Parts: sequence; structure tokens; C-alpha cells
Amino acid sequence: MAGPKSSSKSSPTSSETSVAVSTLWKSYLDQTPDRLKFIDAFLAFIVLSGVLQFVYCVLVTNFPFNAFLAGFASSVGQFVLTASLRAQVNPENRSEFKEVSPERAFADFALGSIVLHFFVFNFLG
Amino acid sequence: MRLLSSALITLLALTKLSFASSNSVLVVLDPSLDREDYSIFFGGLEERGYNLTFRAPKDTSPAITNYGVPNYDHVILFAPDTKSYAQDITPQSLVGLLSENTNLLIALSPKQTPLTSLAAEFSLILPPPETPLISHHPARSEPPTTIPVPVSSSPILTPGIPPIWFTGASHALGSTPMLVPILRAPAESFAADPTSDADSDALVSASEKGGEGLWAGSQMGLVTGFQTNVNSRVVFAGGVNMFSDEYARKELPSGELPGNALFVTDVAAWVFQEKMKLKIDAVDHHRVGESEAPEKYTINDEIVYTAHISAYDSETSTWKPYSGIDDLQLEFTMLDPHIRTSLPPVPGSPGTYQVQFRAPDRHGVFKFVLNWKRKGYSYLESSTTVPVVPPRHDQYPRFLSAAWPYYAGAISTSVGFFLFSALWLAGDVKGERKKGSKAE
Repeated sequence: MAGPKSSSKSSPTSSETSVAVSTLWKSYLDQTPDRLKFIDAFLAFIVLSGVLQFVYCVLVTNFPFNAFLAGFASSVGQFVLTASLRAQVNPENRSEFKEVSPERAFADFALGSIVLHFFVFNFLG
Repeated sequence: MRLLSSALITLLALTKLSFASSNSVLVVLDPSLDREDYSIFFGGLEERGYNLTFRAPKDTSPAITNYGVPNYDHVILFAPDTKSYAQDITPQSLVGLLSENTNLLIALSPKQTPLTSLAAEFSLILPPPETPLISHHPARSEPPTTIPVPVSSSPILTPGIPPIWFTGASHALGSTPMLVPILRAPAESFAADPTSDADSDALVSASEKGGEGLWAGSQMGLVTGFQTNVNSRVVFAGGVNMFSDEYARKELPSGELPGNALFVTDVAAWVFQEKMKLKIDAVDHHRVGESEAPEKYTINDEIVYTAHISAYDSETSTWKPYSGIDDLQLEFTMLDPHIRTSLPPVPGSPGTYQVQFRAPDRHGVFKFVLNWKRKGYSYLESSTTVPVVPPRHDQYPRFLSAAWPYYAGAISTSVGFFLFSALWLAGDVKGERKKGSKAE
């Protein structure tokens, strides 16, 4: 009794969800500026890299631990910096960052990343 | 002037010689004992190069020590019945002599004397006074207190010594590992009052209780040695008669001559440091492939440890390399032995013991410890402290294969950052459409 009910219920729910997701994806593709899409692609790459390192650390080895910390911190740090850049160059946030021009935001991002990578490579070996 | 200086040099050389040969003996002989009755024993000692000086227990000179420095290398106390001594002979002063490397040969008796309490300090438990050792076996014409005692084999004694005549007190041995039993009582002997049968009831009841409280059997010692921590030696003999000419010549019940003369010579040779005397000449340690001891070791180093051991040869009065120890052990300790390994003699290289081992994966202050203590032999002890440090920062491998995913992650993030920056800047110039397609 419960089985058929739940299954009959779940199939419309899942179709609703997939419809919602595809709607969301379409509106993202249509309404997001290409610049932000580009940043999002980079963020996705960083998340993938961080997740892979974490999985390797948990499943295989955390030795040498400093290398794990360096690699993982580089992913996290780069993600934070890139996400900040995305927030500052987003035209919808223009009112929030009146004094920060997109050029200035990118310069901050570049300087922060270079400092981050300096520490990461120092800590890696 | 020249004559004076040469005389001085000769004098110095003579003093040095007398120190090196270490053969001066003070014999404290009770007036009731005649020196001539012990001529075989004393004559044998003089033949082997000892200088005997005789003195009665109550004489004040020659003194045993002057200002705390012993005057003699060895002291024989043949005063088993003496109750009072001159001021310089007390149990305390005798113990003091031992700590100053003087050796003692002490004869006890069934009587209660100051030496009885001294024996107790060396973990020998004497039976009640006036209870000498008695044995009715084997059947013989001598009184039951004059006993032929079979000699068991011991590294101290020449093998195959016939039974020896013994009269005197037995003693039980305490648990001190420094005791060296030399002669045990016969299995059928016991300690009791020989003049009356007053003890007989107590003996019977004690034997019915399984021997509890019974001074009997071969667990009792008659002649027992003791080696102190500074390797001086003391021997307690249960009676003085065993050293006498009379007992050396008295025929055994079987008709053969007893082993007294040989036995007491062997005992004297041991107690006067003629035999079973070993020393560690030198120890050295270094890494494999090097020859000098390093200032410090690194964890997991391969270490070679070598000990050179000599034994004293009394015939030539020299130290000779000795390879006869087959159970020597080396410990590498930091509080606990992290490594305990056998230290075997090196074939073809007399007196050399060598082992190679890997330092533990643990840093700290370690010690090479040699600690060889066997009954009758001089104790061998050596301790060398060395620091063991972890590898220095440039002694590790820098990049490990296990960490390649992390290296790849960090590098790819950096490369990604540069590509991203380049495309971002390029996109600014060329227009948004282009870099959007590139990002996809």
C-alpha cells in the first residue's frame, strides 16, 4: 500500500525537480554574463581539484602532511580569492562596491593569488 | 747529585714494581695456631711470590691501614676463635679494606666471634654457636666433626680435586648474587652440638617437618667467596684446619691423599686475584665504513661497536687479550634498552668483541652499556654516552612520490590562475564573446 503510493508520489516529484533544475540551468545560461561564467568554470575546476586531494588524503595517505596542507590550502585560498573577484565584478553588485572598479578588483585578486602561491610552494616540499 | 737522582729513580721504580706486583700479604694468625702447622699453605704462597707478614690479632703493629690507605694487598685472617682484636681490626675496617681493593681470606669457626657478624654482612647465615658440621658418612676412624668433603667442579678450582678434609662450621647462603659458592657441605651432613645429644630431639622433629629449621644438606656452604662491586674478593672458609699440613697429609678413608693442598692453593689464587680476573681495555664505536667515533649519530645509522677485553695471566704477571667470553651482551639504552644484542668475539682477533647494529628510529641521549657479571669472574662494566639526533633538514628526501597528487593540485591551481589571468586580461581587450567560449 505504502510502496505504490510513495512511488507514484516520487516520480512526479523527481520530474518536478528535474524540470526545476533544467529551468535553473537555462536561466543561468541565458542571464549570466560570459565573464561570470568564465569565473564559475575556474571555480568548478578548483573545487574538483580540492575534492580530489581531500579524497586522496582520506583514502590513501596524508603523508607528508605539509604537502597535503599546502595543496589543499592552495585550492581553498584560490577559491576564496576567485569568489571575491566574482562578487566584486558582478554587475548586480555594483551598488555594493561603488569604490571598487573591476580593474581594481582584478588587481587585488592577482596580488592575493601571487602571495598565496608563494606561501603554498614554500610549504609544499 | 747524579748519584742521588739515580737512587731516587731506582726507588721510584721499586715502588712502582711493588704496586704492580701486588703481592704483600698480612697474615693475622691467632697465637694458639702454630705457623709451622700451616707451612704447606704459607710456603706455597711464598713460592708463588707473596710477601707474608705475620701478626697476632691483638698486636698493634704492623697496622692494616695507615690514614685509611691499606698497607697490604691481601689479608688472611686465621684467627677463628679470637674474640678481641686490636683496634684496627673491626668488621667495619675489614669492609673498608674491601672497598679499597684489598682482598680477604677469612677462616670462621663454630664459635661466636666478631667475624661471625661480619659474615652475616656478606649474606652468609651461620648456624647457632657451638654447632659444627657433623657427618657420620663415610664410615671412618676420625671423629664425626672431621669430614671428607667431595669437591664439586667449579671454574675456580682445578678439575678433579679429590675429597678434602674439613672441620668447622657450615653456613647457609643468602640470596645475594655476588656470592660465589666454592665448596658445598656433603648431602648427609648437618650442624649440631657434637658433645651432647641435647639437640637430637630437635633434629628428629625438624627432619620430620621436611627439614624446616634444619641446618643440613648440600645447600649449605663450607667455603664461599664474595666479589664486591669494586671487584675485590673475600672468601669465608668454615674452618681453619682445612689449610693445615695435618689435613693435607691425612689419608682419606679410601686410602688416597686428600685434595686439601690443591684446593686451598686454588682458593688463595682466586681470592688474591690471580685468576678469573678480566678487564675492559677499551671500547670504541663508529659508523659502518668510518673509523672515528662521530660527535653524534643519526637515527637508523648502522653502528659498529667494539670492545677489547683482557684477562690477567698470573704466570707472566701480564694482561693478555681474552676471547673466551661467549655470552657478552651489548645494550643500547635510553632508560630502557632499545637494542640488546650479543657481542660475539671476532674470530682471529684475540680479545676483540664486535657487533654491528642499526640505531633505533628514535632520537635522544643513548648509552652503549656493557654489563657482564658472572660468578667468580671480575665484573665487566662499561657505559658510553652518545647523542642520537634526527636527520637534519637537508638529509630527508625533499619530494616524495606519495605526495604527487598534492604537488599536482598546487601546480595545477597556479597554472590555472595564470591561464585565467591571461584570458581575463585578453578578454578585456578582445571582447566578451571570445573568452566566454574559451572558458567553456
